[in-house]
Amino acid sequence: MTESISPDAVTSQVIAIIAKQAKLDEATIKPESTLKDLGIASLDAIEMIFDIEAHFDITIPYQGANFDTDTVQSLVDAVIKGLAAKAAGPGAVGPDAAA
Amino acid sequence: MNPASASAFGIAITGMGAISAFGEGAEPLWRGLREGRSGIRPLRHARADKLRIRVAAQVPESFDPARHFDERTLSLLDRCSQFALVAANEAIAQSGLDFGAGGLALRTGVIVGTGVGGETTHDEQSRLIYEEHTGRVHPFTIVRLMVNAPASQISIAHGLHGPTFAVASACASANHALAQAAAMIRSGLVDVVVSGGTEACLGFGSLKAWEAMRVVADDTCRPFSRNRRGLVLAEGAAMFVLESMAHARARGATVLGELAGVGMSADAGDIAAPDPAGSARAMAQALADAGLAPEDIDYINAHGTGTQANDATETNAIHRVFGEHAASLVVSSTKSMHGHALGASGALELVAVLGAMRDGVVPPTANYDSADSACDLDYAPNAPRPMAVRAALSNSFAFGGLNAVLAIRAPG
Repeated sequence: MTESISPDAVTSQVIAIIAKQAKLDEATIKPESTLKDLGIASLDAIEMIFDIEAHFDITIPYQGANFDTDTVQSLVDAVIKGLAAKAAGPGAVGPDAAA
Repeated sequence: MNPASASAFGIAITGMGAISAFGEGAEPLWRGLREGRSGIRPLRHARADKLRIRVAAQVPESFDPARHFDERTLSLLDRCSQFALVAANEAIAQSGLDFGAGGLALRTGVIVGTGVGGETTHDEQSRLIYEEHTGRVHPFTIVRLMVNAPASQISIAHGLHGPTFAVASACASANHALAQAAAMIRSGLVDVVVSGGTEACLGFGSLKAWEAMRVVADDTCRPFSRNRRGLVLAEGAAMFVLESMAHARARGATVLGELAGVGMSADAGDIAAPDPAGSARAMAQALADAGLAPEDIDYINAHGTGTQANDATETNAIHRVFGEHAASLVVSSTKSMHGHALGASGALELVAVLGAMRDGVVPPTANYDSADSACDLDYAPNAPRPMAVRAALSNSFAFGGLNAVLAIRAPG
């Protein structure tokens, strides 16, 4: 897969998914917002990550999530890392190599 | 309520048995915990390459069901029933009870906690239908996978005719089962109950479901440590023989410990996130039910899963109940060693509490390597703590917001 998505595009797509899931206005979601700031409880966050994985067709490694401190930017970073791993091809990086 | 009158209602524990990552028997489990050894190993699974879960605390490969059961019986037993029977056989043998004498079998119940019951059977038979397209499953699928199968199999194996059923409350199942058993003896409904918990939950589908929930650690279980990354799944069972103190004394039985009180509550809030108010209520109730003051407690065997949420919340709840005494008592999570066997956990942990009382050694919290300001109690980090344990609590808090706490007194 050679198609690449710009970091800005990843950010706006991640924010769109969060907005839909949490029923928030996209404009209120900033990269530095923590999930806690956005009022997203742990189970909702897990479901949101599940939706993000499906949208980008990637696996976001488990890194001992802390929903009080994890930010929107940390999710965007995880997606960018996941897309890079996918572009490198299957077998290049194990699903948990980044963990 | 004064302690003497409460004690009249106390329940004697006169037998225990277990199977765990430390192998077959309550003694190997206790020895492992006492020595601070971890039973957590790389996951053994036919599809390990398709799983992100890397570690588990599994019953070792040396466990050979064919050594315990004849072929005909074995064909009826899911792995969780095999575990339940192995543990119950040990507990009943230790109790020395003769169920054939004086109609005791009619007044003996079996109450077994399990989170998911026959998961191995469910997983394997589903695979046959959906992956192999066999169009048919084994005719014993239902009787193997039903959640009451472990309780029924114990009643059948030992000819026990009293009230027999399963108790399910996810990770608190064993403690709820033991609490139910105690209530039935106190009410006079039965004289004896065989009770505990069993779990064999490491099917492929189930492991995938745990992966998706993002609460399973990929390295090891580090309860109360700042760098904790989640729980580590386990399997196993522990069973106990419970009887009224009067019944135990009348027959001159050796009492391993007294189940002195129980506390149960529901958070009635989030389906997954724990609420310290709910856990605190269950602990306070267990103390009151046992006629114990907070200062009487020397040791708490924590729920201590190793998730960010549980360990901080549980610490908060202990502060709420124990006030200043929280700084004096020792809290440890043996899940750091035997892992989280869901519906069997409370039972494995009761083995740890009884062992601590007998030997005067509190088992450590293993893998503890960095302090967390949200977890500020004495967790007996990494080294067993020689100390007398006269009374203890054992906590279990489940998904679904269900809390069950046991108060245990040393025999004496």
